[in-house]
Amino acid sequence: MKPIQLRVNGQAVERDIPDNTLLIDLLRNGLDLTGTKEGCSVGVCGACTVLLDGQPVSSCLTLAVTADGCEVTTIEGLTEGDRLHPLQKAFIDYGGFQCGICTPGQIMSAKALLDENPHPSKDEIQSWMMGNLCRCTGYYKIIESIQAVADGKVST
Amino acid sequence: MMDLASVGQPAGHVEGPSKVTGQARYTADIRLPGLLYGKCLRSPFPHARIVSIDTSQAKALAGVHAVITGAELPDRRIGRFFLDKPVLARDVVRFVGEKVVAVAAESMDIAEEALTRIAVEYEALPAVFDPVKAMQEDAPRVHADTSTYTHPPVPDFVHPGDDRLYPDIPNVVSQVFYTHGDIEAGFAQAAREFTHTFTIPPVHQGYIEPHASVVQIEPDGKVNLWISNKTPFVAQAQFAAALDVAEDRVCVNTAPIGGDFGGKGSLMDSVVCYHLAAAAGRPVKMVMSYTEELLAGNPRHPAVITLRTGVDADGRIVARKARLVFSCGAYSAFTPLHTVHGSVHAAGPYRMPNVEIEVFRVYTNTVPAGHMRAPGAPQIVFGVESHMDLIAQELGLDPLEFRLRNTLIEGDAAPLGEKWKKIRCKETLEAAAKEAKWGAEKAANRGRGIGMYDREPGAFGPSSATLSIAADATLTLMTGAADTGTGSYTVLQQVVAEELQVPLESVRVVQGSTDSAPWEVGAGGSRLTHMAGQATLAAVQRLKEGLTAFAARHMETPSEQVAYRAGEFVNTNEQRLTLPTLMAALADREELPLRYTGEYVAEAPMDVTSFCAQIAEVEVDPATGQVTLQKLTTAHDVGTVLNPLTHQGQVEGGAIQGVGHALTEHLIVQDGAVTNVHLGDYKLPTSMDIPEMKTVLVESDAGPAPYEGKAIGEHSNVAVPAAVANAVFDAVGVRLMDLPVTAEKVYAALREKTARSRTMRRGNS
Amino acid sequence: MITFEYVEPESLEEVLALLEQHGEDAKVLAGGTGLINLMKQRLVQPAYLIGLRQLAHSPELAEIRPNSGLTIGALCSHRTIETSALIQHRLPLLATTFRHVASVRIRTAATLGGSLAHADPNQDPPPALLVLDARLRVQSHHGEREIELSDFFVDYYETALEPEELITTVIIPPQPADTGTAFLKFLPQTHDDYATIAVAALVSLDGDTIIRARLALGAAAATPLRVRAVETALRGQAPTPQVIHAAAALVAEEVDPLADFRGSVEYKRDMAVVFTQRAIEQAVTQARGASGNV
Repeated sequence: MKPIQLRVNGQAVERDIPDNTLLIDLLRNGLDLTGTKEGCSVGVCGACTVLLDGQPVSSCLTLAVTADGCEVTTIEGLTEGDRLHPLQKAFIDYGGFQCGICTPGQIMSAKALLDENPHPSKDEIQSWMMGNLCRCTGYYKIIESIQAVADGKVST
Repeated sequence: MMDLASVGQPAGHVEGPSKVTGQARYTADIRLPGLLYGKCLRSPFPHARIVSIDTSQAKALAGVHAVITGAELPDRRIGRFFLDKPVLARDVVRFVGEKVVAVAAESMDIAEEALTRIAVEYEALPAVFDPVKAMQEDAPRVHADTSTYTHPPVPDFVHPGDDRLYPDIPNVVSQVFYTHGDIEAGFAQAAREFTHTFTIPPVHQGYIEPHASVVQIEPDGKVNLWISNKTPFVAQAQFAAALDVAEDRVCVNTAPIGGDFGGKGSLMDSVVCYHLAAAAGRPVKMVMSYTEELLAGNPRHPAVITLRTGVDADGRIVARKARLVFSCGAYSAFTPLHTVHGSVHAAGPYRMPNVEIEVFRVYTNTVPAGHMRAPGAPQIVFGVESHMDLIAQELGLDPLEFRLRNTLIEGDAAPLGEKWKKIRCKETLEAAAKEAKWGAEKAANRGRGIGMYDREPGAFGPSSATLSIAADATLTLMTGAADTGTGSYTVLQQVVAEELQVPLESVRVVQGSTDSAPWEVGAGGSRLTHMAGQATLAAVQRLKEGLTAFAARHMETPSEQVAYRAGEFVNTNEQRLTLPTLMAALADREELPLRYTGEYVAEAPMDVTSFCAQIAEVEVDPATGQVTLQKLTTAHDVGTVLNPLTHQGQVEGGAIQGVGHALTEHLIVQDGAVTNVHLGDYKLPTSMDIPEMKTVLVESDAGPAPYEGKAIGEHSNVAVPAAVANAVFDAVGVRLMDLPVTAEKVYAALREKTARSRTMRRGNS
Repeated sequence: MITFEYVEPESLEEVLALLEQHGEDAKVLAGGTGLINLMKQRLVQPAYLIGLRQLAHSPELAEIRPNSGLTIGALCSHRTIETSALIQHRLPLLATTFRHVASVRIRTAATLGGSLAHADPNQDPPPALLVLDARLRVQSHHGEREIELSDFFVDYYETALEPEELITTVIIPPQPADTGTAFLKFLPQTHDDYATIAVAALVSLDGDTIIRARLALGAAAATPLRVRAVETALRGQAPTPQVIHAAAALVAEEVDPLADFRGSVEYKRDMAVVFTQRAIEQAVTQARGASGNV
């Protein structure tokens, strides 16, 4: 067991956890933040993407002990009260999801992109989002959703 | 066009806010007090006798609460139609990945550790993997005795055929004939005949949510089930049968489905999950790993398709004989009904008076197959549309021209005799050809190829929906259909808003559990917009009638003099009563909310279908065989598009699944075992792998859904593999008879072609 | 997931002491994208996991430093290398190569040292580092040594690294002028895949004569492969299509690919020739236009 202290979506969290706890399990089972999804479990599909100190990581390949002292942002952390993040609104308005299982990961990856590069080209969006698989949309509307936010077309 | 307000608008998904914020709880997200985690030990053998199982070390592990084997369970087989699958293997395992022992423990880690402490001794048995070989007399039998396996009668909504279930052919589950005309007379008229055989490997549905089940047993024995199953009421019936309890002793709770594509209609781990919960006395959750999904999900049937076609001197098809062999793997339990539906498409959307289709479903010692988006159709259409191009080539005809000579036109009978109205086959093909610039000049190593398909809207089973109105006049539509993400809830919301002439936002759509919602088949077969849509229309109608009666009483006017208009009731004296006022008035006198349930059953078989024509444009690198799909044109014969945003989402998502099927996806089976068992090795298309996409909608007004809508869910994925293979031939002159169209296969075919032409040149000199 | 004890030392000395103490019972955790996957599949089952997170600000392990050549700390992430202005300017080949690895998310976590120690022969960076003549500085409780990268990869997932050793720095020697480079990754399936074959080439020209050629391949054998036969065939020659074609053809004899989901042995061998030729052509073109820019 290891004691860890971190901030999750701005809230301080202290826990004693087994050394082998994965970040995804801490979030989902320990903190009931089930917005982060587990798909492939090998770092390919991107459904488990969260931001660790602002950087996108596969929470299924990250030991929770290595998040000690870090700031973790999950999909639940994007909403301010009832106000959706522009990416969240864009994914609704532009059809950027269907079943929704990959969506938290898509939105977290997109957030990391826009944080680093607020006005990406379509090619930059496609390339950045390559690590987030979606089986429903064929990606066209995901790219449109992100482009819409980058172009300032979405207000919340 | 009709004058519509909500219907026809590109409305975002009604359930959107819950999905984009992470609030939506899928089955794997369910948490309960005392929850245990279940996991199964699976067979490493494709066919073996279980000699012994020692679970003592697993049982001794701290944190393990239940360990069960097949021998400890009731000897009852489960399934959807054919009941042939044990919950855990008994005595014999029949595929690599079959569940043998189940464990429930305090954590997934402990459950997995427990599995490593179970010793199973097997005695290998002869196995068979190829469905054609499995039908030979000397083939090992996957099931030694099928005489005790049961199944209900073939339901009447499927295409009538001559069905022979468990015929006297080794390993054959079903042999079905579909015939029309006189096949021998047809071939007698033919000037030329062509026969080709195509092979299609299994592919996985590729949903990102692995199957999950959660079972909680109440003190009185009532079972609460959460399951990633798109048809909760059907699951309830199958699950209750598997437990041998009355259906009302099982409540299937609500959960969105994280991707279906046909794959989320089976019981998967739910029954073993129940037995673990019963043994442990605590609720149990089971979530398959993606490795388990690829190894032991319910993939699309692999198939061997032989097509023989007779053509007259004018290039018109006069006869088609098809022999379709589908491997259903080790169990037929969660395959589509009696046979693979797509088989009826073996003649394509073409005029051909004489047809005989013979379909086999065959047991092999491989992963059991299931449903996937238009079951059977992509396999068959790959064959049919490749065959069309092969014939055109032999006849010296342009592939478009050959198809235009044979496409169905208004007034034609379809190959199996269906009398479709408003046939838009030729128009759809011409629209695709125009958009794709068929016939325009191409650069070297570029090619274009066509694929065609048609499919009628789903019309089976009853649908129902309950519309309620609360004291504050908010409207809630409850459906028993699980939300698979296709946008059906949004379409239903639009129907309610349209009929009541209220803003879209004033209508909620919720899923009800099997305890609370009226019976509904659920998602499948492209049926919800049609069936649930009509049920919703009926519910709105009842609500309008009910409220009009209340309004009339309140206004002291005979009800026939009261009309509903956009959120208010108006009588012939122009006296008005708004919905909120009426509901407030009723609050004292009636039990609110008021509920109105609409039901719908499609009485007649569908008299309309939807055509789809797709044109792929590829570039082939002749030095490597690499195929780059540059552009995909997808043309659809549609009815009224109720929601352009979600409709287009179905078109695009389906088409890209077709791209995966065409180019990269296949479960690689060696000695019966799937070997590419994670998403690093089973390659789904990424955001970098999508072509320029052009969609053309050829609108019609003949659909059976509300406002003359048709279906779109299982159209755009089907013909893409054929279109790509045909385009590759057009680009570099090599023909692949099997999927996927990999670079290595194209490269090998190019080398062979070069070697052949060298030999020919040498022969000529 | 297996059980293990996680330790997170504050200093390099402590890391090395722990490695000395636990030897093969311990594994070093950097980005984790390789190791955690192996542990989840129970393919690697260390009793101790030594986390390097506290060394993330150690200049030696975490920085990219210019000197006559360049040193890259083993804890630099793929993304750091890909986006480093210094790398983009001095070693554009590396920036290009690292951009081809997996997805942004994986590149953010995966480190240079971790990927080299992982020694998966299908990875992209080793061929590029091989043509740059990279060396590794490795340290143990007993001291440090340098290993030529071309001597580092021993077999499938096996390296010359001893259990108690840690890669601390990758040393890239100064690169010659009038040099062109290329990295080609053949991805016939999806863009997030491992290579069917990967080729890195470096060519220096003196006028119209190749005075230096280096070639290395990924996914072509049980280890990343430097192919000196091709280099020798090119050296001293004019880069004509015939010369390049003949030199590239030699690759077929040198590679010893493993059949996998990305291609058969025969196909990978043929593709090794095709992409070797293309990579050399591209490097030559770049060298012709180069002005001391590698």
